[in-house]
Amino acid sequence: MRLLTHNMLASNARGASTGYPLKLQVVKWTTKEAEPNADFLRGMLPKLDWAALVAATHSLGLPGLLPESPPTDAELSADGAADDEGSALRRLHRALLEIHIEEGTLVCPDTERCFPISKGVPNMLLHEDEVRN
Amino acid sequence: MLQVFSKIATRNPHRFILASNPYSSNYRTASMNSNEMMEAQGTVSTEGNHSRFESVQSTPDIEKKYVHRVYDAIAPHFSATRFAKWPKVAGFLDSLRPGSVVLDAGCGNGKYLGFNADCFFIGCDISPPLIDICAGRGHEVLVADAVNLPYRNNFGDAAISIAVLHHLSTDARRRKAIEELIRVVRKGGLVLITVWAVEQEDRSLLNKWTPLCEKYNEEWVDPSSPPVRNQSNIVLESIAETDEHIGAVKRRNDDLKRSSDGLEDNANVSCSDSSNIDEHHKTQQEYFVPWHLPFHRAEIGGASAAALENGFAKRDDKKGTVVYNRYYHVFVEGELQRLVAGINNATIVDQFYDKSNWCIVLEKL
Repeated sequence: MRLLTHNMLASNARGASTGYPLKLQVVKWTTKEAEPNADFLRGMLPKLDWAALVAATHSLGLPGLLPESPPTDAELSADGAADDEGSALRRLHRALLEIHIEEGTLVCPDTERCFPISKGVPNMLLHEDEVRN
Repeated sequence: MLQVFSKIATRNPHRFILASNPYSSNYRTASMNSNEMMEAQGTVSTEGNHSRFESVQSTPDIEKKYVHRVYDAIAPHFSATRFAKWPKVAGFLDSLRPGSVVLDAGCGNGKYLGFNADCFFIGCDISPPLIDICAGRGHEVLVADAVNLPYRNNFGDAAISIAVLHHLSTDARRRKAIEELIRVVRKGGLVLITVWAVEQEDRSLLNKWTPLCEKYNEEWVDPSSPPVRNQSNIVLESIAETDEHIGAVKRRNDDLKRSSDGLEDNANVSCSDSSNIDEHHKTQQEYFVPWHLPFHRAEIGGASAAALENGFAKRDDKKGTVVYNRYYHVFVEGELQRLVAGINNATIVDQFYDKSNWCIVLEKL
């Protein structure tokens, strides 16, 4: 599971008000390099809940990866950003797309209900008694 | 050839009701005709000891047995047969703006994930074995229920639901799944939905399908329940097209009775008696569609051995396959439109019939 996906996931169980963001408890994660696509990342920026993304990186023990405030579009578009590992673009790319959570748990902030992540795949299915009416 | 859409069907009294084993404590009712459903959606009321209206999001038994379990059992074989990209879907995906986040709800073996290299796909399916196949191919996927997507609002740029909704057994669930697709895309986002049509191009296919019908079974009426049309007593079962088939249906139903996992088929009454004459005049939309799993494929997953023992699947020695039944509610012309009519933040931007499927493209307002 990438953090881009995590940024979208919400608990839909009964009793959850927003069910978002899900707390991340990571047992195993890896990094898989990928070619950054500046246009894609700039397009993603307005969709992201930045605080949730930063919190997720903190859960992984990467507090320095992302700034507390989101970068501007101008910063992402800066010349040479794609080649500079320290650039805002590359950091965002690493956070959103290169980090893969392999094993862990997603926890609903409202109900503490746990959703497992196994072999990189979250299972968000609810039991019969948890579905909303 | 594109069909010209007639006015939206107003016929709605298709009571498709399910019953589980009446002797089990898990006595549930699924939904009823459209009018009642519109009022009942999200409501729970009780009559006697039973809830009259079940949650839209609870999975009805027929889907658990004849959709979920079947796909879990046949996943690798199913995946091996699912590779051709349907031009209409391909065209839709290719038309999306580069950088789009595309949500595939009911992605199956992930056939369309990553189809447009400029977009980011996230797939979900209710079948863990199918999702395993997707994950093995490096796709971003999760296990989830299309009727209750675990996504926050307005995130996707587009969503697709390809041959999924016809596996949902009630109008309310089918509508909810569409509402979910709309909910999870942004304003202006597009949703493509395709479903199997009643109006199949190859009519002979229907001969291989088992039509399903509803029937009362009076002796299951709980004395304390309201009289007559108690929803919970209607049973789903096979119907015989002709008298010749009745014997076959009875034999098949006897086989099905051997189900021993507590979820009885209750398909032990033929539909040939006069109380069902009315049913035959309505458009038949509920079917079991067989899936033939070759013996060598069945060996791989132990699920088939258990399924055969329970009477849940059968051997076809002539074809050398284990035969599973998949539940389908095939759609009539205009039915997708009718479902969408009640969703006030969605508008239809395209609608067509292609290769025996009804298709619709919605835009979120």
